[in-house]
Amino acid sequence: MAVSYNQISKVFGDGTVALDNLNLEFEKGEFIVLLGPSGSGKTTACRILAGLEEATGGSVTVDDLEVTSLPPRERNMGMVFQNYALYGHKTVYENIAYPLRIRKIDNGNIDSRVRAIAKVLQIESYLDRRPSQLSGGQAQRVAVARALVWNPEICLMDEPLSNLDALLRLETRTELKRLHGDLGQTFVFVTHDQEEAMTLGTRIAVLNGGKLAQFDTPRRVYHEPATRFVAEFIGRPAMNVLDGEVAGGVFRSGTFELPVTGQPNGPVALGVRPEQILLQEAPTDQTVSFDLDVLELVEPDALMFVKKDNTSLVVRVMHDTTGLDRSSQIHLEFPEHTRHFFEISDGRRRS
Amino acid sequence: MRTNRIIERVLDHGVAPLLLVPSVILLFVILLGPFLYMVWTGFTDLHYALPNRDGAFVGFANFRRLMQDDPIFWHSFWLTMKFVFGVVLVEFMFGLGLALLLFHYIKQHRFILTLLLVPMMLAPIAVGLIWKLLLSGDFGMFTYYLRYFGLADQQTSILGNPSLVMPAIMLIDVWQWTPFVTLVILAGLLSLPKEPFEAAIMDGARPLQIFRDVTLPLLRPIIALVLLLRGIDAFKEFDKVFILTGGGPGISTEMLSIYTYRINFRDWDLGYGAVCAFMVYLVVLIMCSVFYKAVYWNEGRSKTVGKAAS
Amino acid sequence: MAMVATLIAILILFLTPYLWIVMTSFKTRLDILSDAPLWFFTPTSENYPTIFIDKNYLPLVWNSMIVASFSTILSLAFGTPAAYVFARYDFPGKEDLFFFFLTTRMAPPISIVVPMFLLFSVLGLTDKPIAVILAHTTFNVSLVVWMMRGFFADIPREIDEAAMMDGHTRGGTFLRVLLPLAAPGLAATAVLCFILSWNEFLYAFILVAFEGRTLTVGIPGLVTPHGTLWGQVAAVAVVATLPIIFFTFLVQKHLVRGLTFGAVKG
Repeated sequence: MAVSYNQISKVFGDGTVALDNLNLEFEKGEFIVLLGPSGSGKTTACRILAGLEEATGGSVTVDDLEVTSLPPRERNMGMVFQNYALYGHKTVYENIAYPLRIRKIDNGNIDSRVRAIAKVLQIESYLDRRPSQLSGGQAQRVAVARALVWNPEICLMDEPLSNLDALLRLETRTELKRLHGDLGQTFVFVTHDQEEAMTLGTRIAVLNGGKLAQFDTPRRVYHEPATRFVAEFIGRPAMNVLDGEVAGGVFRSGTFELPVTGQPNGPVALGVRPEQILLQEAPTDQTVSFDLDVLELVEPDALMFVKKDNTSLVVRVMHDTTGLDRSSQIHLEFPEHTRHFFEISDGRRRS
Repeated sequence: MRTNRIIERVLDHGVAPLLLVPSVILLFVILLGPFLYMVWTGFTDLHYALPNRDGAFVGFANFRRLMQDDPIFWHSFWLTMKFVFGVVLVEFMFGLGLALLLFHYIKQHRFILTLLLVPMMLAPIAVGLIWKLLLSGDFGMFTYYLRYFGLADQQTSILGNPSLVMPAIMLIDVWQWTPFVTLVILAGLLSLPKEPFEAAIMDGARPLQIFRDVTLPLLRPIIALVLLLRGIDAFKEFDKVFILTGGGPGISTEMLSIYTYRINFRDWDLGYGAVCAFMVYLVVLIMCSVFYKAVYWNEGRSKTVGKAAS
Repeated sequence: MAMVATLIAILILFLTPYLWIVMTSFKTRLDILSDAPLWFFTPTSENYPTIFIDKNYLPLVWNSMIVASFSTILSLAFGTPAAYVFARYDFPGKEDLFFFFLTTRMAPPISIVVPMFLLFSVLGLTDKPIAVILAHTTFNVSLVVWMMRGFFADIPREIDEAAMMDGHTRGGTFLRVLLPLAAPGLAATAVLCFILSWNEFLYAFILVAFEGRTLTVGIPGLVTPHGTLWGQVAAVAVVATLPIIFFTFLVQKHLVRGLTFGAVKG
C-alpha cells in the first residue's frame, strides 16, 4: 500500500471531533479527491497527511514508512493552498524556486527546473512579477508550480479552485487533470464541490462528520452510493429520497405508492435520481401521477418540481416542456434499475 | 549530522518557549524586579536625607501616613483626577468634532492629518518648553496678545497665578493631544461600513439623527479606547508640568507624579515615596485592566476594532 | 470650500506655537526680548553653534541617538519573537501574559523609576546610557509585542504552512519567511520605538545626570528663573523635535495602530 491512514482520529483543543477513526488506503499515482461538506474533516485529513496537523490517534504510513510525527519537510509532499499562500515579498520566480533553495539545490539546476515547471503551467512570462500583480488564475498556477517544482511524491491541494471565478475554475480543472496525466504524481485534492470531485478523481473519498462514508471510483460513487448521505450529496439536483415503508411488495410514502420487488416488509428509504426518472405522455401501469408545482428551464434540460399531496420530487428531463403549466398532470416512471434503497436507521445502502 | 537533527527538532517543536521566554525574563528582571523592590521599600523607613533612616521595617506605617496624615497627597490626587477628566472631556469633544469635519469635508486627509500630528509627536518636555516661552510674563507672545485684547491685565503672569495656571496647563494638554483623538476617531469613521448609513438614509433619518443613532453607537468601541488611553496617559502627566511650573506656584499644580517625584528625589523620603509611587501604579493598573477588558476582551482576542486612515 | 479654508486657518493657528519656537531659534537675544512679538526679523544662525559647540550640547544629541537606537534594537530583538509566538501559538495563560505586557507599557514611569534608580545605583549603572537604554526597553518591548502581534496576525497562517511544506522548520519559517514579510511593519515599529525613546524624559532625567544626559534631559537645565537664553533653548528644542516630525511622516500609515496598541489598524 502506498499511502494509508490507519484509524486516524483528530480532536481539536475545543473538543471538536474533526476525524473519527479514519481508514483510507490508496496507491501512488492516483488522483484522490477528499470530498465532503464543511466540517466533514476533509481538510483535516489532508493536513494530517501533510504534517501540518498532528493526529490525536492512529498512524499515517507512506510506503510502509510511518510518517505520523514527521515534520512536513521530511514527508516529500508539496501543497497548494486555497489562498495560494504565495510569498508577497518574492517574485514569482523566487516563489517557485524557494523549495529548491531551502533544499540547497545548485543555482543552475534551480533555474532549469523552475523554467521547466513554468513552461508546463504556462507562466513563463510572469516569472519576474510579484504575486500582487497576478490574477487569481495566475497566482493559482504559481502555487501549483511551487508545489510541484521539486518533484514531491505527493501533491496535496486544499480547495485550490474555490477562489477562482466559475469559468476559470472549469479551465483550471481540466488543466489539473492533464497535469496529473502528464506527471504521474499522486494528487490528493480536497473539495466540497462534487462536480470537481467527479471530474478529477480516480477515486473519491466522501467524508461526513469525520467519518469515511464511501471510497470508490466516481462512477460507483454515483451509481452505487454506499449511504443515503453520499446519495444525496452527489448529483445535482440532489437525489430524491423518500422515507416510507414496504408492505406486500408495495413501497408507500404518504399517498405515493410504487410496486417494488425483492424488498422485505418494513421501513425503508427509496432514492431515485431526478435525471433517471422518466416522463411519460400518458399514464401506464408503470407510472405514478403528480401535479406540476414549479417548472424551471435549465436549457437544454427542464427541472420539474412535482407534488403528490405531501410528497415532493424533483425531475430533470430533456423533454420539450411547452404546454406544461402549474396545473398540468405529470406521469412519471421509476425504472427498476434506477432505484436505491437505504436503511432508515443508519442510512446504509441495501444490497 | 546528529547535532543538526537535534537543532532541527528544537526548531520544530521548541520554538514557542525559545522565542517568548527571553522577553518575559527581560521584563521580569528590569521591571518586575524594581517593582517588587519598591513594594518592599514601602514597608521601610528608608530616607536618604535623614540620619538613622536606613531601611528598617516599619510595617504599614507609610500606608497609614498616606491614608490619614497627608493632605497634600490627596490634594494631588484630586488635582490629577480633575486634570484627567477635564482634558479627556475637552480633547474628546474637540477631537470628535475635528474628525467629523475632516471626514465629511476633506477628501485628502493625509496632508492635513500629517500637520495635525506635529504637537503630539513632540517630546512632551519640548511642548512644555514651547509654552513656557509663549506664556512668559515679560515677552511671551501668547501673554502679549492676551493683554493686547484685554483678556489679561498687565501684571498677570499666567504661570504664576494659582487660579490660572491649572487651566493653562490643561489647555496645553488639549493642544498637544486633541490630534490623537482626531486621528483615532477618524480612523474609526473611515472603517465603518457604509450600509447602516445608507439604510438610515432610506429610513428617512436626518443627519443629526444618523449621527446619534448610527455613527455614535458604531464608534463606541473606538471612543471607549480613545478615552481610556488618554485617561491613562493624562494620569501619568509629568514632563510638561515639571518644566512649566515644577508643581507651583505653591502646590497649585502639584499633580501626583510631581508630588511623588518631590517626595522621592527632593525630600529623599524613599520609604514613603515608594508608597506614593505604588498608589500611582495601582490607579494606572486599574485603568489598564478596564482598557483591556473593554477593548480586547469583548472583541475577542487581538481582534481589531477598526481599520483606517491613509 | 469655505470649510476647507476654515480648517486650514485653524490648522495654521494650531501650529503657531511650534512655528514660534522655530522662529525664536533664529532670533537674536534683542529680537526675542522685544516688547511686541516680532513676526518679521533678520534671522541669525548664531544660536545653534553657540549652544551645541561652545556650550557643548552636541554630546547630548549623540547620547539621545545611542539610547534611542539601542533601546529600539533591544526591544525589537526581544519583542518580535515574542509577538510571533502570541500571533501563532496557543498556550495556557496566553492572554494573561499579554496583559502583563500591556501593563509594562502603561506603567507610570514615576512608579518604576524610583526603585530602578535604587537598583541601578547598587549595580553602579547610574549615569551610564545602559541604564536609560534598559529603562526605555521596558516600555518599548511591550509596544513591539503589541504591534508586531497584529502584523504577524495579518499574515495568513497558510504562508507559514507553505514555508513548512517547502522545507522549513518552524524556527526557519519565522526567520526566513515571516520576518521578511513583516518587514514594513517592523520598520514602522522600529521608528515608533525610536521616537518614544528619543522623546522620553523622566527615566533619563533620574537615571543619568551628567555625562550620559540625553537631549530631553538637557532642556530643563537651560530654563532658569531669570535670564534664560531663549534663542539657544529654542535651538535645542528644534533639534530635539525636527527629526521626530520627519520620522512621523515616515510612519504615519502605521501610527494609529502603534498608538492604540494595535486596537485600531492604520
